[in-house]
Amino acid sequence: MTKTVIKLNDISLNFPKQRNPLTIFLDFIKKNDRKFKALKNVSVEIKQGEVVGIIGRNGSGKSTLLRVISGIYPPDTGEVLAAGDISLLAGLGTGFSGHQTGRENALLYGSILGHNEDEMREKLDEILEFSELGEFIDEPLRTYSAGMKARLGLAVASAIHPHILLIDEVLGVGDPNFKEKSKAKILSMVKGASTVVIVSHSFGLMTDICDRVILLHHGEVMHDGSPQESIKKYYEIVGD
Amino acid sequence: MDESQVAAPVLRPIGVKSNPLFAPVHTISEVHKNRFLVRNLIRREVRSRYRNAALGYAWTVIEPALLASVYWFLFIMLSGNPDEMYAVWVLIGVIVWSCFSKCLNAATNSLTKNMRTIHLVYFPRSIFPVSGVGANIVVTLMSCMVILPIIYIYDMPITVHMIWIPVGVMMAGFMALGLGMMMAPLNCVNRDVEHLVRFITRAGFFVSPVMWTAEMAMERGAWGEAALWNPMVVPITVVRHGLEGKTVDLPIEIIMASVVASIMFYLIGSMVFSRYERGAVKYL
Repeated sequence: MTKTVIKLNDISLNFPKQRNPLTIFLDFIKKNDRKFKALKNVSVEIKQGEVVGIIGRNGSGKSTLLRVISGIYPPDTGEVLAAGDISLLAGLGTGFSGHQTGRENALLYGSILGHNEDEMREKLDEILEFSELGEFIDEPLRTYSAGMKARLGLAVASAIHPHILLIDEVLGVGDPNFKEKSKAKILSMVKGASTVVIVSHSFGLMTDICDRVILLHHGEVMHDGSPQESIKKYYEIVGD
Repeated sequence: MDESQVAAPVLRPIGVKSNPLFAPVHTISEVHKNRFLVRNLIRREVRSRYRNAALGYAWTVIEPALLASVYWFLFIMLSGNPDEMYAVWVLIGVIVWSCFSKCLNAATNSLTKNMRTIHLVYFPRSIFPVSGVGANIVVTLMSCMVILPIIYIYDMPITVHMIWIPVGVMMAGFMALGLGMMMAPLNCVNRDVEHLVRFITRAGFFVSPVMWTAEMAMERGAWGEAALWNPMVVPITVVRHGLEGKTVDLPIEIIMASVVASIMFYLIGSMVFSRYERGAVKYL
């Protein structure tokens, strides 16, 4: 298993700064380049079957990198190549509507995540069972507690089986009891998916499950190696 | 499905634009491919609009009826005895015009409103304006139920020409989709667009045949005839004439101009949208 499934070739991504007519004019005469460089010449190659972690301080470009891989932001320079379907797991329950029932929201969220109708009908029973919502499933979502919403979100999200799974800080939602269950579920998804890229601040978890950890700092790859080494480097950077 | 997981597919580029020239066709195929998603998004939108309202969906009918009665009253005060059907024509005008203006605003705001979703999942972004417009077309078609009591009160014959009622509504929505797709990426960069569009839809109310009809305009000489070139004249008149029991009765060049305009709006709108949405979402 040495086939490359994700390949980032020297990608850069800039975010424009909010502008108004005055700043546009000032930038023009001062020849300012008011852009925030979120990723600078990042080159990463990920092989099939790898579990890769990404660490770095807040705002170092971790989430942006996952968004570039999933196609949310096209890179400004360089190219992104990937093989197979990609799924980004971030912010469970995107698009939930408080006025619809749990069941309708499950279908809605499933379709947002890219399932078609047949797949969703097929998976609905499994989803409802995992969510442990019982009779609440046909109540409007606004009557749910935060934990119940999280459970429903995870239940739907974990029903996908992509080739490449990107996880952005979704571990540890809900009450302690469910937290364990959700962690177990995500870990089983990690094992089930062939390739995983995970962003997390939980270094213990990273050391446990990742084969490799990439350290990002100000949008640049500072280190790419074993979890222990990268975490050590991280503390060196944060220290100074 | 299992087989595809064993034999991992080949590398393909991510985030590469297809040629904007093909966007009009791509938009249709993307919407078709994601029709389940579009349907769910439309349902979410329609549901949330009439949440917790005792009268619920009845508001789709009550709102235009109340508005029309106000305009009707105003017009009687200004010009005196209009013909007895005038109130009905105003009502139709209000329904079709508000379909257009709601669709245009929904499409323009579609990217900014769905900011959170855009940050977290990727699917073809044309889904956002399309489902926003779709939801408003659905709501407008529900408002068209107001036609049933009108038919009863005025004792109108039910004819096949009533088919034109939904056609006119959809044409107004389609026009708004094209225009809104041009505006949506721009609105991400600068929210002023949203306010400008809202102003335009309010001003457009008066130059469109909402409080007047195409027949009235034709009696007013050159200025009246110039007003007929407004592309919104056709959708509104199509619905009015459909209710009256005839196929739209306007000069053919006016109809052609309006149809061509709405197709051009869509062609340009989808191209502009696909060209600029990727850069524009970075502003969100």
